[in-house]
Formats: sequence, structure tokens, C-alpha cells
Amino acid sequence: MKRNLLPARLDLAQSVTGLVLAVFMAFHLVFDSSILLGANAFRFVSGALEGELIFGQKIPLITTLFAGVIFAIFIAHAGLAMRKFPQNAAQYRAFRSHMKEMRHGDTSLWWLQIWTGFAMFFLASVHLYIMMTQPDTIGPAGSSYRIVFEWKWPLYLLLTIAVVLHAAVGLYRLALKWGWFEGKDPNRRRKTLKKAVWIVSAVYLAMSLAALGAFVHIGLTGQDHFGNQVEVVPR
Amino acid sequence: MSSPSPGRTLVFKILRHNPQDPTSEPHVARFELEEYEGMTLFIALNEIRERFAPDLQFDFVCRAGICGSCGMVINGRPGLACRTLTSTLAPEITLAPLPVFKLIADLSVDTGEWMRGMSERLETWIHEQTPVDLHAVEERMEPELAEAIYELDRCIECGCCIAACGTARMREDFVGAVGLNKIARFRLDPRDARDDGDFYDLIGDDDGVFGCMSLLGCHDICPKELPLQTQIAFLRRKMVRVS
Amino acid sequence: MKIVYTDVLVIGGGLAGLRTAVGVKQRGFDTIVLSLVPAKRSHSAAAQGGMQASLGHSAMGAGDNEDVHFEDTVKGSDWGADQRVARMFTHVAPKAIRELAGWGVPWNRVSQGEREAVINAERVVITESAKAHGLITARDFGGTRKWRTCYTSDGTGHAMLFALGDQSIAHGIPVMERMEALALIHEGGRCYGAVVRNLVTGELSAFLARATTIATGGYGRIYKVSTNAVICEGTGTAIALETGVAELGNMEAVQFHPTAIVPAGILTTEGCRGDGGILRDVKGHRFMPDYEREKRELASRDVVSRRMTEHMRKGLAVQSPYGDHLWLDITVLGREHVHKNLREVTDICRYFLGMDPAEDWIPVRPTQHYSMGGIRTDHRGESTTLKGLFACGEAACWDMHGFNRLGGNSVAETVVAGMIVSEFIADFCAGSESDINLSTGLVREFVEREQAGLDGLLNSSNGESASAIRSRMEEIMIEQVGIFRTGSELESAVEELEQLLERSRRLSVRNRVPGANPELVAAYRLPKMLKLALCAALGARQRTESRGAHYREDFPQRNDRDWLNRSITTWPSAEATLPRLDYESIEVGDMELPPGFRGYGTRDHIDHPHSDQRHRQIEQILKAVDPNDRYARQAALMPFEHLLPEKYRPRSQRLEIKT
Repeated sequence: MKRNLLPARLDLAQSVTGLVLAVFMAFHLVFDSSILLGANAFRFVSGALEGELIFGQKIPLITTLFAGVIFAIFIAHAGLAMRKFPQNAAQYRAFRSHMKEMRHGDTSLWWLQIWTGFAMFFLASVHLYIMMTQPDTIGPAGSSYRIVFEWKWPLYLLLTIAVVLHAAVGLYRLALKWGWFEGKDPNRRRKTLKKAVWIVSAVYLAMSLAALGAFVHIGLTGQDHFGNQVEVVPR
Repeated sequence: MSSPSPGRTLVFKILRHNPQDPTSEPHVARFELEEYEGMTLFIALNEIRERFAPDLQFDFVCRAGICGSCGMVINGRPGLACRTLTSTLAPEITLAPLPVFKLIADLSVDTGEWMRGMSERLETWIHEQTPVDLHAVEERMEPELAEAIYELDRCIECGCCIAACGTARMREDFVGAVGLNKIARFRLDPRDARDDGDFYDLIGDDDGVFGCMSLLGCHDICPKELPLQTQIAFLRRKMVRVS
Repeated sequence: MKIVYTDVLVIGGGLAGLRTAVGVKQRGFDTIVLSLVPAKRSHSAAAQGGMQASLGHSAMGAGDNEDVHFEDTVKGSDWGADQRVARMFTHVAPKAIRELAGWGVPWNRVSQGEREAVINAERVVITESAKAHGLITARDFGGTRKWRTCYTSDGTGHAMLFALGDQSIAHGIPVMERMEALALIHEGGRCYGAVVRNLVTGELSAFLARATTIATGGYGRIYKVSTNAVICEGTGTAIALETGVAELGNMEAVQFHPTAIVPAGILTTEGCRGDGGILRDVKGHRFMPDYEREKRELASRDVVSRRMTEHMRKGLAVQSPYGDHLWLDITVLGREHVHKNLREVTDICRYFLGMDPAEDWIPVRPTQHYSMGGIRTDHRGESTTLKGLFACGEAACWDMHGFNRLGGNSVAETVVAGMIVSEFIADFCAGSESDINLSTGLVREFVEREQAGLDGLLNSSNGESASAIRSRMEEIMIEQVGIFRTGSELESAVEELEQLLERSRRLSVRNRVPGANPELVAAYRLPKMLKLALCAALGARQRTESRGAHYREDFPQRNDRDWLNRSITTWPSAEATLPRLDYESIEVGDMELPPGFRGYGTRDHIDHPHSDQRHRQIEQILKAVDPNDRYARQAALMPFEHLLPEKYRPRSQRLEIKT
């Protein structure tokens, strides 16, 4: 009998893609939040990421390519994770009623992951597509315009919440799944990890939502919250 | 001894159904009992049967938390009824049979058939290298290793981990924590000749270790407090290494 | 009528039944195991402390061997045991341990070097030999001269049962769960199988077999308070009795375990005392040394239980709403030991008493625990009077326990008897004597008789309620056929039990469903249980001496002159209300170890007239044998190896460890 190694590889791939995306997001959201330090800070960061420091000018193609790669990983992760979703109404009902009866934290958190993941199919796809196709618009002005006048703020609001929760819970579950950070007393360590999930989520949510607010502020007033003028106009 | 507030009246809401009886419909039956000190669900259920419902079905054997017969869903969570003191519960107590397993009637389910199927599928027995020479001194084993094997050997196949598992609720072929723990136990045992490749053939798919989503309902309700979380994680690492 | 054919029908899925099934399967015979519950839920799982086998690997077990184990067992039995069977048992026990080790039982192992232990309430340092490192170790138990009880923490029975359960699955043995044998099918002194009821559907079927084996455990549940599982109602023993042909032996020999928790009656293992735990009274005083200077808490169970009861009668018990009790103190062992090596005990205390035994004392009192009596068999495990019927384990009176069983000898008996008896069953099945020539008409008659009985229960109205009669029986047994017995109480017990049996023939049930029906089950089991209760009570009334667990306050001496025998009960007819009682004498002239002082309890007995003669004879015989060859000395006194199946005859290799 030939051993079927596919299940092992798929399981590993699901974890690896998830980890990559989570780590990516951890940086992404910090970079985004540079807007909290003012429009110039954000301009510097976004420029640097597009190669300005190396090539002396922004090369939007870098963003396109990078977004493309992330998009691919995202699609792979979604596809792999979907295998674990309820496959039909009976499974859906079984899990729902199980969760309601059990009132068990980690079981309920999985439901949260399913729904945040499901939401991101749409939200993240839209976002990634824009980043791929309009990389040149990233900047304090372009981003603010997009958020306010192209009505992307509801999308980003939901996406931010979804991605932060999904990634934080996902990282927690990765640790349990593969036995990382078990320490001498895995039960206590798990409580610590769980606490870390909530702290990290709260910090990231606060930071990212404040950043979103900062963009909205720029869009509405034409200046950042330090008073620096930003010329928010359509392209 | 824990002492409940005197004179509590307990209300039991028991999910009843007898599939043997064509006229039976699943319904919740309500019973009231006066609580007294030291009352367990074993005592309470026997009293209910004696006084109100002579046909009420449930399973108890050792009534000491050792044999695993009396797994049922107590206020939404699987647990062993015999060792659950009513004083640890609110006065309204809901009882339901363990899900996933075939219902015999009321609170009685067929865990035996399920466990046997699991055992046959995962070959949960020592695969000996050579038959033991009964007359010779036994093989040596490090004392710590023997204790580590016993730690995992303590599973009583009560079925609570299966009932508490979101995956098992959705997918009937999932081997669950009970099955994975057994593989971990035999993997640890030097008397078993199987290697990781052999174990992969048994649990290396989405009905096995890769089906586990680490919801850890199993770990959190296991009446024997088996280290299921770490054992399943350990197995996952080993099985991935096979690939 | 459904008829199922097999070679060997095994009734009972505990350790003894499973080992028997595996044994006959290995010999190439088909077998079916019937069990009231999933096999791994059998009461064998509740054996906590360990299994005796004279490996002698631990420092405190050094010098142990089959001879010492044999002596301890016979003394424990108060000379009631069949000494040849005790020899067979002690010879095979080490092999059983090793077989189970091969099947995966994670026996605790010797760890070389110094370690702390508690002996006689004092911390001592034991040095384990490097030579024994990694071999199976043992703990102390009552009534033994060496530390001989092999264990896996305090879940020994569990580990053994799961290993055997897994072996039975590996061998592809069908275990049919929720099946109850209601009657044995027999004709002309030959047993052909059983009428079996499916407890889920209520359907009756006939299982026909060359050999039928009963391994259904004890009958503890005829007592109000018992450590036994709720399924230990003795019905397997009772269906043998109801044939009117098969004999039961020593039914009055009922063991009380010293330390079951109050009020739940759940066992805390003898390992608690074996590991150094002590008994205290209401004043916190450790009282056992006052009674038993040498063995203290670790005299045999019958003695400790009696001493505890005696002490409580002096008004030194702790009073509680659930009756009097004493304290078991294992706090002296230290938290780590308690939580690691007495884990089940810790769990039981936590869940049922809401306390931590490493911190507080455990409320305990003697509680019914073990049935020495059972289906009387020869050394091969076959009924002495009903051919084709075999029995082993607690259900049998094989008879290695006599009137008191040593702790750790019961799980040992289950597997050892399973090993030995399965070989004899296979031999029996291989021969033409096991051929079945039976008309299906007879089978139909047996099935119809049982069906009629059930229908009668379901259709009658205004009859008696089984539960009231049962409660009364349980009370009578615990109050009048308990630890201390007197003629007058036993007299009234027999009389009232007889009345209860008559009343139990007019039962009716409220729930008239023919299928799964707990009330019906209780009703049809009741007369069976009452018959066993009567066998025990009548046996106790007639036995005007004290031996092992049977203690008559009006006849406190062991009387070898008149009572060195086995009580044999049979049930004369379906209408009878009392068993027939006979006696099988135990020959002093054949004994390797003639009657004497046990080394604990009271030194007071009436000698058998042949005792002295046998002692002198033994001295004479031994003069002619090499004093250093223990095997030769043993063989000269009471040869037994020829009684064993050939594969178990070789001597067990042992590591000689010098201390």
C-alpha cells in the first residue's frame, strides 16, 4: 500500500500559510498605523516599502507583486481551511447546537474564526485586488480619499476587526495544535496564551481602528491630527 | 464533605426517548426531588426510577468514577454522572444522553460498539515483536517510562471526549481524542513493534490526527484529566514528520 | 427461536472471562463472550491496589517465591483452601504477570538506589538493588510476609482489563454486550449452553456450546452496602445453582474490606495501608497495634475488619449521620506519594467526599467486598457435578481462597484461572466427550420456560414489588449475616429470607414493556439473588465455628476437628425454598501445610485429630530430601505440577537478589 502523505502536507500547509499571513498582518497593521504619527510618517513608511530607500523612487510594481503573493497565500489558506468548515446543513446544525450546549471557550472561538474567515473571503479579496491594481495610490492622500470618498471605511472597519481576531485566535490555536510554548505546565501556559490573545487583539484593534480614524480625519479635514496639510483629491 | 443548602428541591429535566418503541417521541421529562447531603446523580436517578419512572434507562456499573459507564450530558457538558454531587450543580439540572453514540434509550447509549470499532480500526493492542516467554524474567523498562505509559493508559473509554468534540459532532468517522490518545500510548510503549509509518497509516488523515481542530473540548472535560492537548499535538508533529 | 452455536460460550466479560476466551481462541476454538455491560466496564476494572505474584524484585520482596506465596495464601484462607489449587495458582501467577506485561500492562518498576517509604507509620529508607532496576516492583499488602503485590499505581485492574480487552479484540473474539444468561441448558448432568436475554430488545435466544464457562464475578450486591459494582448480583452463580445439579461451595464465606468510604461504600485500596497508611479512632488514636502487635493494619482483611468492628463497638467510633466509622490516615505518606501512587483514591475522595486525602483523614468502615464462595469446580475449573460447565474467577469456588482471600489474590486469580481453565476447556473441546447430541426440542423447552416466566411477570398485577423485598434482603444480609454472626440472628435471617423468596414468586411490575425494562430485570433477578442469600445464610447458620471471614460470636474458635470442610449447597427443585447443604471434607493427610496458627488474629483453635500426625509425617518426608532444593521438598510433600496444563509446568525463572 502506498502511503498517502497528502493529508499531512495539507495540514502543515494550512498552518504555514496561516502563520505567514498572521505574521504579515502583524507588520502590515503596524505599518498602517504609522499614520498615527502623522501623514509624513505614513508617507515615509509606505514609500520605504515600495523601495524608495533603495531605488530612490517608489516602484508600485513591488506592491503589486507583493499583494499578488499574499493574495495567492490567502487563497491557499482559505481553500485549506474551508475543508474544516461544516460541509452541509446537518453538520452546521450539529456544531451550532454543540457549541451552545457546551459553552466552551475554545469551541466558540472556532466559530468566531469560521465567521471572520468567511467574511474575509470578500473583504480581504476586495482590498487585495485594489492593492494589486492601484498600488500607486497608497499614501496619506490616496488612502484617505479611498477610505472616505470611495466609501471604503466600512470595508476596512469590518476587515480590521475580522483580521485581528482571526489572526490572534489563529496563532493561539497554532500553538496548541503543534504544541509550541507548552512549558512545564501546559494547562497554565494555555491560560497565559489565551490571555495574550485578548491583549494582543485589544492592542491591535485599538491601534488599527485609531489609524482608520486618522485616515478618515484626513479625508474629512484635509489635514492630519497634527495639523499637517494633506491634499486629498481624486486622482 | 460539601454541604448543600438544606432542603433544596432539585428539578431534573431529562431528555427521554426510546427508539425501540415506535410510539416514543423525544421529549423532556421533569422530575422533582428533595436533595440531601452527599446526593450524587447516581443516587438521584435511581430514586427517580424507583419513585416516578420505572422505565427510565441509564447505565451505572462501578458508581465510583472508575468504569466510565455513566457518561452523559449534564447541564450541557459531558461528564460522569456517578461522581457528580448534586450540591455542585444549580437546583435545575438537565440531563441528556451522550451525542454521537447510538442511543439505546433515555440516558443510555451504546459506547461499547463505537469503542470496539475504534479499537479494531486503530489496532489498539500491543503488536509484539516476539511472543513473551512466560517462564523467563520480564523485559526491563525504565520506571519513568512505565509511569508515562500508565498516565495515558488511564483512559476509561467513557466517551465524554467524543461528545465534547466539535469535529466528532460533525464528522462521524473522526477517531477523536480517545483514539488518538491510544495511539500515543502504544507509540510510547517499547513493547509495541510498530513505527511511526505504521501509526501514520492508522491516523494520518482527516479522520485521524489531521482532523483535529484543537478545540480542546476533550482535554477540558476528560474525567480522568488525560493530557490530551499535548498528546495530540505531539502526535501531529510526529505524523507530519513521516511525510 | 434463534439458536447460536459456538465451541465455548463464556458468560462474563471481566478479567477471568476474557482470559478464558483468549485462551481457547489461541487453541483454535470459536468462542463468544456474553457480557451485561461493555467488557471494559466490568468490575475487574475497580481492582485498585494490585496483583500478587512472587517475583521478589523489590528489596522488601527479596527472597520471595512460590512457597512463601503459597503459605500466605493458605494461612489467609484459614486452611479452607484447596492446597493443590493454591499451589497451581502461586506457580502460574508470575507467568500471568509476565504475559500481561507483554500485552502492555505498564507495571510499576523497580528504581535502583535509595528511596523513602513509610513502614509502621515511620519514614524509612529502602535501598533497591541495581540488579533489579527496571523489573516489575511490588508493594505491601495485608497478610503477606513479603512485598508481593505488583501494581500500576492504584489502577491495576483497569490496566489489566484494558490490556485483556484489547487482546480479545486483537483475537477477533466477539463480545456481545448487554446480554444476560437467564438459565443454563442442561440434561443428564451435561451443560449445553444458556438461554440468553438481550437487555436492549428483550429477545430470548439459545446459545449452544461444547463448553459453557461462567465468569460473572461475585454476589456482593445481596448486601446493602458493598464495594461491588451494581452489576455484581451473582446471577451467573445463581443460574448454575438453579440447574439443581451444579454445586456451590462456601457461600457463607463473604469478605468485608476494612476501608470503604462512608457513606458511598466505595473502596479505597488496601494499598493505602500497604504503603503505610494507618487506622485511627474517634480520639485520633492508632488502635490496630493494640490488637495485632505484629501485623497491625496489615493483618488479613477478615482480621482487620473484625478488629475495627470490635473497636467501634467499644464506643470509639466516629459518629456520623450515616452511621459509625473510623479514620484511614494516609496523610503520613506525603502529598506526592498520595497524588501519584494513590491517584484513584485521591479522585474518589475529591469527588465523593470533597476532601484531599493528602490533607485529611478518610472516613472508612468495613464493607462487603468479595465472595469467596461460588460454583464449586475441580482443579480444572469444571463443575464437580455438571459436565461441560466451567467457572473461574470470583464466580467460582476453585478453591484457592478458602474462607478468606488475601488482598491482591483476586485479580491474580482471575487471570491465572483464565489461563489454566481455558487450557482444560480446550482439551475438553478437543475430545469426543464434548460432542453435542441435543434435540432442539429440549432447547425450545428451556427457552419457553424462561419466556413464560417473563410473560408471567409482565402480565401479573397486584403482585409484590421487587424493590421492597430486595431492600429487606440487603438489610438482613448486612445486619444478620455480616462480620459478626450469631446462631439466633442467622436463624431468623434464614427464616425471613425464606419468606422473602416465597413472596418473590408473586411479583408484578408497573412497566410492562417486554424490551429494555429495568424494573423487569430487577424482578427476575430477585429470586436468584435470594437463593444465593439463603445459601450464604444457611451455610453460616450451620457452620458452628469461626473460620476466616465467617465469624460466629457463639463459636469463636476455628474448629478443625469438626469443620475442616467445604460447605456445598445445591438447589433441590424449582419449588424448594431452602438449599440442600452438604459438606466436602478437606483432608489433612494430603496437606502440604497442615492447620496451625495464622500468625495474626487469635491463637485459638481446636485441632484436627490428624494434624499432629501429618506434621510428623512431613518432618519424616523432609529428612530424606535435600534441604536446599525447595522444589524437591515441595514435590515430596504434595506434588501438583502434573495437575497443570503442560505449557505452564516449567519453573519460573527468577533473579536471585541478595539483600
